[in-house]
This record gives sequence, C-alpha cells and structure tokens, in this order.
Amino acid sequence: MTPGPFLLIAVIGLVMSIVVGPKFRRVWLALTLAGVVALAAASLLVLAGAAEWEWRSTTFRIGGELIHLRLDALSALFLMLVGLIGGTGAVYATGYWSDEHYPRSAPRGRAWWSGLVLSLGTVLLVSNGLHFLLAWEVFTVCAFFLVTLENQRREVRAAGWLYLAASHVGMVFLFAFFCTLAASTGSWDLGPMRERAALASLFWFALLGFGVKAGIFPLHVWLPSAHANAPSHVSAIMSGVAIKMGVYGLLRFSGWLPVPAAAGPVVIGLGAVGALLGIVFALAQNDIKRLLAYCSVENIGVIFIGIGGALIASSQGNAWWGRLALIGALLHVWNHGLFKALLFFGAGSVLHATGTREMSRLGGLWRTMPWTAGLFALGAMAISGLPPLNGFVSEWLVYLGLFDAVNARGASAWAAMPAVIALAVAGALALATFAKVSAMVFLGAPRTEAAIHAHDCGTSMRGSMLVLASLCVAIGLAPVLFWPLIGRAAAAWNPAWAGTADLPAPLTTLGPVQAALALFFLAAAVGLWRYARRNGDARRLTWDCGYALPTARMQYTGGSFGGIASGWFAWILQPERKLRRPRGPFPTEASYVERTPETVLERVAGPVGNGVMRVSTAVRRLQHGRLQSYILYLVAGLVALGVLVVFGGMR
Amino acid sequence: MIVVYIILRLVVWLVLAPLLPGIINKVKAWVAGRRGPPVLQLYYDLARLWRKGVVLSTLASPGFIAGPAVAWIALLAATQLLPLGSAGAALSFRGDVLLLIYLLALARFCTAWAAMETGSAFEGMGSAREVSYAVLSEAALITAVLTLSVHTGSITLVTMLAPAAGAGAVLLGAGLFVVLLAENCRVPFDDPNTHLELTMIHEAMILDHSGPPLAAILHGASMKLLLFALLLTEAVLPVGELSPLAAAGALAGGVLAVTVGVGLVESLLARFAFRRVPMLLTTGFLLCLFALLVAWKGGAA
Repeated sequence: MTPGPFLLIAVIGLVMSIVVGPKFRRVWLALTLAGVVALAAASLLVLAGAAEWEWRSTTFRIGGELIHLRLDALSALFLMLVGLIGGTGAVYATGYWSDEHYPRSAPRGRAWWSGLVLSLGTVLLVSNGLHFLLAWEVFTVCAFFLVTLENQRREVRAAGWLYLAASHVGMVFLFAFFCTLAASTGSWDLGPMRERAALASLFWFALLGFGVKAGIFPLHVWLPSAHANAPSHVSAIMSGVAIKMGVYGLLRFSGWLPVPAAAGPVVIGLGAVGALLGIVFALAQNDIKRLLAYCSVENIGVIFIGIGGALIASSQGNAWWGRLALIGALLHVWNHGLFKALLFFGAGSVLHATGTREMSRLGGLWRTMPWTAGLFALGAMAISGLPPLNGFVSEWLVYLGLFDAVNARGASAWAAMPAVIALAVAGALALATFAKVSAMVFLGAPRTEAAIHAHDCGTSMRGSMLVLASLCVAIGLAPVLFWPLIGRAAAAWNPAWAGTADLPAPLTTLGPVQAALALFFLAAAVGLWRYARRNGDARRLTWDCGYALPTARMQYTGGSFGGIASGWFAWILQPERKLRRPRGPFPTEASYVERTPETVLERVAGPVGNGVMRVSTAVRRLQHGRLQSYILYLVAGLVALGVLVVFGGMR
Repeated sequence: MIVVYIILRLVVWLVLAPLLPGIINKVKAWVAGRRGPPVLQLYYDLARLWRKGVVLSTLASPGFIAGPAVAWIALLAATQLLPLGSAGAALSFRGDVLLLIYLLALARFCTAWAAMETGSAFEGMGSAREVSYAVLSEAALITAVLTLSVHTGSITLVTMLAPAAGAGAVLLGAGLFVVLLAENCRVPFDDPNTHLELTMIHEAMILDHSGPPLAAILHGASMKLLLFALLLTEAVLPVGELSPLAAAGALAGGVLAVTVGVGLVESLLARFAFRRVPMLLTTGFLLCLFALLVAWKGGAA
C-alpha cells in the first residue's frame, strides 16, 4: 500500500470542504475529518515503515515548474500532527465558534481552516523550492485570516498585522534561501544534496527565516499577541502545528543540505536561551492565553536544544547520542502539539464560559467546569514534564542525549552542560508557571460574577480535548510503541542513524515504570479519598488565621504567585508599575497596576521598525507627483552620469 | 524472592524515615538544654492523624486529598530508585536519576496544587515560595548530578553513587547540603517550628490539611529528608565500593551525621530573611558548579 491514494482522498476532501464549508456545517465537518484521517493514514503508513513516497508529474506545472511531491518519514511526522490537530480543532470549532454565536465569522472560519490544513500539508509534501515558497505563503495568509476572524476588535487586527509583517520578514530570508539555492544548483528541485559543501552557509538564511515562524527567542515578537487574540482553536493549531513548520523547515534543510560547523552550537544556544526566557515571560503573564503562547517559546527552545545536539553529533562523526537528542526533540514536537492544543482548548472553554482571559478574574472553576479543570490539569502536568505523562518522556530523551554528549567529553560537552542546566531550570519554572495558571483559574474561590456562573463545555469541545489528553497519556505510558515511528523520522534526517529496530534499553523500562506509577497514583488518590472520608469529613471555611469572613479578593493573585521568580528576571521583563497610594485620612481611591511589556517587541523591534519607517517617510518625500521636479531628477542624473563618464574615462 | 526483597526495602524506607525529624528535634533540644519530645514523636503523631477524620475547606475539590496521595507515592517511588550501598536500588536503569528529580518535582506540583485548593492567601504564599525557590535548588541539584555523571561517566544512580566524588567531594557535599536544607524546608530557609504563617514555606502550604492526608504529607516529607540525606552520603562516600556491612555502617553513620548537622544548623542559625534565601541557594548552585569543574578537570587528567 502506498500513501498516494490517501493523499488524493485528503486533497479532494479538503478542497471540497473549502468550497462547501461556508454553507454546510455538517458536510464541512465530515469532509474535513475524512481529509485529515486520510492525511494521518498516509503519514502513519510512511512512519510505520512503508517506503518513502515520491511522485513527479510529467505534465502538470505550477509557475513553470513540474509538480514534485515527496513524503518521507520526517515530513510524515509533521503531517501526522497536522492531521491530528486539524481534525480535533475542526470538531472543537463546531462547538466553540458556532454559527449561532458568530454568524458572520464562523462560515468563513471553516473555509480558512480547511485551507490552512491543506496548505500546511502542501508545505510538507512539495519538493520544489518555488512551490514550497508558494505553499508557505498560502499557509501564512490562511493563518492570518483565521487569527483575525474576530476582526471587529482592534487588538485582534493589530495582532494579525504584526503576525503578517513578522512572517514576511521571515519570508524575505526564505526567498534569499531558496533563490540562492536554486541559483547555485541550477534547479528549483529539492532533495538530499549533502555532498555540496559550498551550500553550507545557506543554513543561516534558513535559520532566520524558519526561526521567525518557529518563534524562537528573540524572533518570537509576533507570537504572543497572535496566539492570545486568535480564537482558541486557531491558537491551538498555530501553537501546536504552525510554529512547528519552522522546526520542520529547519530540520528539512539541515538534513538535506550541509551545515556550517557553528550551526549546532548556535542552535543549542538559541534553544537554551529561548527555553529559559520563554518560560520566564510566561510566568509573568496574567492573560491565560498569552501565558500559553509564551510557553510555546519555551517548548520551541527545548526542541531547538535537541536539534542543536543532533547537529553537533552529526558533525562529530554521527555520534549515537545525537540520535537520542533528535528523537527527544521530534517526540517533543508531537508532545507539545498535543498538550499545547489541549491547553488552548481548555483555555478556550474557560473563555467561552466566562468571557475573560484574565486570570485575576477567574478562580474556583473546577466546580462548574470539572471536565475542563481535570483535562487542563492533565495538560499542565504533561507540559511541565512530570512523569508519568508524555512531556517527561521527550525531555528525558533529550536529557539522555545531552548527558551522553557531556560524557563523550570534547567540545560537545561545553555546549551540552549549560543546556542541561537551562533545561532543568526551565522545567522548574514551567512547573511554577503551570501551578500558577491552574490554581488561579480552577482552584480557590471564584473572583468575579462571571466565574461563578460559568458552565462546562459541550460534547464536541470535551470530546476533542479527551482525544488529545488520552494521546498524552498513551505516549507517556507506552513510549515504546512510538519509538520506531520517531526513529524512522530521525533516520530520514540523518541516514547514518538508520536502523530503527534497536530500542534503547532504558525506554523499555521507563514505559512499564510510568504505567505502574500511573496505576499507583490513581489507587492512592482514590484510596486516600475514600479512607479519609470514612472517618468523617466536615466542611468548614478555609482557616484564615481565625478570620471569619474571608472573601474571594483575599486570595493570592497570579501576580503575587509568580512575583518571586519573575522578580529575579526583572532585568529582562522590565515590568511597568503604576502605584497610586491612598492619601489623606479618608482615602477615596488607590490603585496598583503592574504590566509586563513585550520587552523584545516594545524595546527592540518597535524602535527599529520606527526607525525604518522614519527613513522610508523621508525618502518618500522625493516622490510627490510634480513633473518639474522629476525632470530635474532626470537632468541631475544625466549630468552625474556624464561627469562619471568624462572623469572616469580620464583615469 | 524479588517481591519479598522489594517489600522488605519498602518497609525499611517507610519505617525508618520518620526517625529523622525526631533525631533533629532531639539534637535541637539537647543544644538548648531541654529534654525535648521523644525521638519517636512523629510516629505517634502519624498514628493519631491516620485515625482522625478530615476537615475540608468548603472550596476544596477532590484534588485536595488526591494531591498529598500522589505526592506521597511519587516520593516513595523516588526513594526506590536510590541505591542503598552495595544492595543496589529496587529498580535501576539508564537515566533513572532524571526520573528521580522529576518525581520530586511531581510531588512539589501536587503539594502546591493541594495547597491552592483552599483559596487561602497563606497557602498561596507558601506555594509561591516553594515553587520559586525550587527553581534555584533544581539548578543546584542538576549540576550536582552533572558532576557525578562527569566523574563516573554514567547516568545510572547505582554507578554514579558508587565511588566517592573525588577531589570535588567537599564542594559537592556542601552544595548538596544547602539543597537538602532548602528542599526539606529547614532553617535557614524555613522554620518548621514557627507558628507565624507569614514566615513559612512548607508549613504554610499545609495549614488546612488534617487527618490522613496530613499524615501522608508529613510522612512524605520525612522520606524526602531521608532521601536527600542518603543521596548526600552516597555522593561523598565511596559506599558502593565497601563490603555490605561496612556500607550499611557508612550509610547509617552518614545519615546520622547529616541529621545531626541539620539539627545543629537549626540550633545555631536563625532563619534568613526571604530576600536572602536566593543568595544562599545561588551559593549552593555555585558550589555544585565548582564541583563540576573540579570533576571535569579530574576526568581530563
């Protein structure tokens, strides 16, 4: 069996769903689901060991280039994620962004969704530089229209424009990358060309171009506001899948092309810094979706650490530990897609039920939204890398690779040691961040009316969250099942690491250990719950130092919870505080406002952008439509040329 | 046979752990010239708490009780990964040290979660401090693990802890001792005796817990203390290279020395102001970092 027929079904299903999407909701859902299931089936075939699939048209041309498609294990890994999040997101959207609530934007949202899934799939399949650029642009534009579905709100439009602008800055580098590549190879066709050492320096263009899309620190400026302001199912696919396309691009072309010697250390360094600072910014946020967005910056950092390790290992004679780091990074691509989508879906349910993303207005939601609370908690534990869930497995594999790199001694150790420490610190900060967000949103007493009258999400939203949560658990408890699949993707990246039959011995141990742990956790929790209540359980007010009338406003806030750790990073967070002290014997008002700015955007990218705008405005004055001046320019130009000719000739 | 062996090991851990806080309290009483509570006081407390009913906050979800239960299992599982001298660990595999660290993190998450259930500002304060200071102590701990890994070329606890830590042993021991004090909420980071919630970390988190869940928390805390005391002893002494009898003696002596040390620190030192806590933890991290450099140099020579 080859993936070809499945891909054909997927394309037909998705194209039809774009056409019928706006009018017929159910037909759209059925067609989209058929499409993504076909995508997933095709990628599973390749991941499970079918031969790499390649199709070269002899007649069909786009932009003068013959169509050339290819599905190998590496692109299949990402295609699987597209299918998974594309499908669960579509189901979620029927409940979350329904026609009843959003009569104007829901219909076009469906069409753009299918368009996004189709274009993401196309990016993964095409094997031609020109077509890659086209598909990349279509995917960027589809994502833009999805982010700005709610375009009557100013901040949504601003976030959308920022995303579009940043994406096109990245696009410039990609143009440079693909055009230079095509110019030096003489063809737009892509494929393995590892032996052409002259192409190595192109890696830097790819790193910048794909880095913007991946949102690696400090190129993440577009990411927080786009993810926070998009509808939650869009945030999920943006964070879970779209930014992974940057990772895909980086992996694809660092695998097919030679890379410079400095590539590995630079990527691992970017990853370590990004993981640390991403989670620091996340900790300081008060907007639940912005927090999740910054956390994506951290996870991309973790993935980059793994990729950097793999790059270093490849340059040092394909050392075996690089494979562990790479497989850890690739598994983390899946894991992050799963639990980040789950968390965004959870955040969406909260937003849907209460109308706010501000954590300081929520609280105590577990009572009215038990399903969302439980599933969000599971996602929070998974993303903090806690056993026995999937986040631990991938981080553990990255750790194993890095520790082996340290013990291999040599130059690799100097990159690996700081990375290990950064990974551990980022992990501890992630735990603090997710303890904060789950506690502020779901535990304690409701802080506002909206939080009191919340309601749990409907079947479609709950169902898609359940699917993602069970996959998180499955990867955590049976990592052995997923190892060969990811191993094939790693072999597609570096053929020297082929041979996926071998399982690392510790993984076969870790799986059962995690499963046993999960069982014991369940048993202990249920057992203690029953036992403790058997002796009688009285319900009393929370003990507040003897205070009899505690109010919800007396609870700890998110700002104070994260305050200690984010205080250590005030040098980069640059928090802005506005304090109005109570004055006089009968103070009427007092307030304290603390805001964490988008430091990189507001202090670096903003001023640079303003500078560019100022120069452009100044230059623009030359063009004003007065014919006389234009003739003057012409004459001046001619005179200058004449001077050049005369005096240049004399020399 | 293996089952009996594992059960025996579990029993040893479960039964011996509550001894440590008793010893610490005895040392403190002895330094202060008091008679102090009996060494077995924690056993009595645990037995009494286990028989009691619970009082739950009106705000608490089932997670309020599930948290301590999961945390207790996580700590117990972590202890089973730690080798006991030449007897080895109940379970040993490559990378088990990372599972141990992350199990401790899981316990921390669950305790913080359970604390936040009550919506009390005290508990919020305690959890915030716990998860924040853990960032620094985790940095120190992973650096200590790196040191041991560089020293032995392995990432399996049994191999890593077998020999002495070499030239950097003193640095590593000091660093791990700081981590032990912070992770187990002892003076100078936290005062387990105080009644002023504002100044506490761990005790502030469990203010609203009662009955069997509180017993699970207290017992888990004592297991964690024993875990760190053993880790410190085995990192510094070449326990894995001794004969079984000598190893057992070294372990017991080491744990006793660490426990008495904790008691002496508590008697002679006041609790630090919270703004100085990060500095001390950073010092612990730096000690481990220097130990890492020493181990690196030692391995290269």
